[in-house]
Amino acid sequence: MSDIHAYQSLPGLRQHDSRPAAEGPLTMRGLLRRPWFIRLVAVGVLVFIWQWVTWVNTRVPGIDEIVRFMVTEMTGGSHGGALTGEFWEPLSLSLQRYAIGLAVGIPAGALLGLVIGASRWARGLFNDTVLVLLALPAVVWAFLASLWFGLSSAGPILAVILTAVPFVAVNLAAGVRNIDPGLVEMSRSYGVPAGRRLRHLLLGGTLPSAFTGLRLAFMTGWNSLLIVEWFGATSGVGWRARFWYDALRYPGFVAWIFLFVILITVFDRLLLSPLERRAFQWNQQPTLTFEEEL
Amino acid sequence: MATVLIENLTKIYPPTLNHARQVQALGGLNMSITGNVFVAIVGPSGSGKTTLLNIVAGVERPTSGSVRALQEGVPAQIGYVFQEPRLLPWRTVVDNMLYVQDRKSDRSRREAEFYLQMVGLSEVADLYPSQLSAGMQQRVGIARAFLVNPDVLLLDEPFSHLDALTGRSLRDYLQRIWLQTRKTALFVTHDVTEAVELADRIIMLRPGGVAYDDIAITLPRPRRPADPAVRDVQDEVLRRFDAMGAAVRFGTAQAAR
Ligand SMILES: Nc1ncnc2c1ncn2[C@@H]1O[C@H](COP(=O)(O)OP(=O)(O)OP(=O)(O)O)[C@@H](O)[C@H]1O
Ligand SMILES: [Mg+2]
Repeated sequence: MSDIHAYQSLPGLRQHDSRPAAEGPLTMRGLLRRPWFIRLVAVGVLVFIWQWVTWVNTRVPGIDEIVRFMVTEMTGGSHGGALTGEFWEPLSLSLQRYAIGLAVGIPAGALLGLVIGASRWARGLFNDTVLVLLALPAVVWAFLASLWFGLSSAGPILAVILTAVPFVAVNLAAGVRNIDPGLVEMSRSYGVPAGRRLRHLLLGGTLPSAFTGLRLAFMTGWNSLLIVEWFGATSGVGWRARFWYDALRYPGFVAWIFLFVILITVFDRLLLSPLERRAFQWNQQPTLTFEEEL
Repeated sequence: MATVLIENLTKIYPPTLNHARQVQALGGLNMSITGNVFVAIVGPSGSGKTTLLNIVAGVERPTSGSVRALQEGVPAQIGYVFQEPRLLPWRTVVDNMLYVQDRKSDRSRREAEFYLQMVGLSEVADLYPSQLSAGMQQRVGIARAFLVNPDVLLLDEPFSHLDALTGRSLRDYLQRIWLQTRKTALFVTHDVTEAVELADRIIMLRPGGVAYDDIAITLPRPRRPADPAVRDVQDEVLRRFDAMGAAVRFGTAQAAR
C-alpha cells in the first residue's frame, strides 16, 4: 500500500476511493459516522427492545436469565431435578459434523461448479439437479436422513454436504462462465501454458464468485445442520435447543439459538471476511458483505 | 527474418442464434510479408481485419486456405496488442507482463521494467490495472507484446478506444519503439492517416475480407503528421480509400483492382 501512495501525484493515475472512515477528533457528528458506533447503537436498541418485551410478556426470557442458564450449561451445574448442564459435548459434536460436511461439500461443489461452468454438456446434465438441491428445504434432509440412517451423525453431515454443494457449484459455474473471453484469447495467442492459466486466469477470475459461494455454503450449511439436528438427531446444538424447547425451558432454548447465531457471525467475521479482503486487494470491494446479507 | 505467408485465406462464420445467415469475414486473401516491415491493414468496419489477426495469432481457425508465420523456418513468436488492454484486473502491471512470459526470475522482472520504461511507465509496475488510465493500460499492453521478444507483432486498432490526444502520443511512442526494434508488424486500423504515419506498406481490405489495394509508403522516418509530404500521401491514400467505398457501393469493386 505504501508505494501506491507514493505515486498518487502521477498524472493520469486513478486512485481508488479507499473510503476512509471520518478521522479526526471525536465529536458527536464524527462518532455518528463511524460504523462501529452505529453498530453499537443498533445492538443497544435491540437489547432495550428485548428487555421491554420481557416486561410485557413474561414468557419471553430476559437476557440475565439466558446468561445464567448458559453459565449453568457450561459449568455442568444443576438445572434443577436430575437435569445437569451440557455444553461442550453437543457443541463439539456439531462443529465436527459441520467441519466434515464442509470439508466434503466445498471441494465437491467446486469440482461440480468447474465442470458445469466449463462444459455445456455437463451443464445440461447437472444443472437441474443442482437447482433441485438448491430449492429443497433442509428439513427434507432431516426426515430423509433419519429414515435412511436413523438418528446418527450421518444425517446432519449429509445435510451440510448437500446444502454446501449447490451453493458452491452454482456460484463457481457462473464465475467460470463470466471469465472474460478476451483474456482467454489473449492467453492463447501468447501461448501461456495451461498450469499458469489455471492459476492466474481461472483462479483469479472465479475468486469473487467462489467467495460468494463459500460464504453462502458456510451460512446455509450451519442452518441446515441446526434443523436436521432439531428434527433428526439425539445430539448436537440443534438437538440441545430442541431439548429445552420440549422441556418448556425457554431460556435454554433461546440461549442455544443465540450461541448458534453468534458462532456463524464469528465464522464470517474472523475467517471469511479477512480472507476475502486479502484476496480482493486489487479492487477493495468485497462481493457480498455480511451487512448486505442481513 | 520473419515471414508471414497468407494463401487463399477464407473465413466463414456459420449462422448464429442471433444472426441467421453465415458471414464471410475473409474471402480468399493472399499476402506475403517478409522482413522487418511495418504493414498497415486498413478497411471499413467488418472487413475482417480482427479475424485476420486472430487467425495469424492462432486463436481462430481458417475455414480454408493457410497462414504461416515463421521465423527462420520455425513458428514465429507472436506479440499481440488488442483493441482493449486485456489485462488481468487482479494482477499487478508487472505480473500481467510476466504472465505471458515463460520465465519468472529477477531478470524477467528487470526486462519487464525495461519495456515499461520504454512506454513511459517505469513507476507503475506494482499497481493494479484499475489504478491506471485507459491510455496507460494500453501502453502496458504494448510493453507486454514487446516483452516476449516477438518475431511478429500484431496490433489491432490499439488506439481506437482512446481520445485523439492520447492516441496521437501513443502513436509517437509506437513509432519510436518500432524504429528501435524493427519488428515485423501487422497493424490494423480504419484510420488511413494513422496508417500512412506508421507503415511501409498499406493493404486495403474491402467488405467481405478481400484485398482491394496494396500501397507502398516510402516516406522517410520519423514521420510527423504535420509534415506536408506526409499530408500529401495521406490525401492520396484517402482518395483511394474513398474510391474503394464508391466502388463497393456501385458493385464494381472487383473490377477496380
Ligand atoms: N465470432 C464471430 N461469430 C460470427 N461472426 C463473426 C465473429 N467474429 C466476427 N464476425 C463477423 O465477421 C465479420 C468481420 O469481423 P471482424 O471483427 O474481423 O471485422 P473488423 O474488420 O475487425 O471490424 P472492426 O473495424 O469493426 O473491428 C463481421 O461481419 C463480423 O460480424
Ligand atoms: Mg476489429
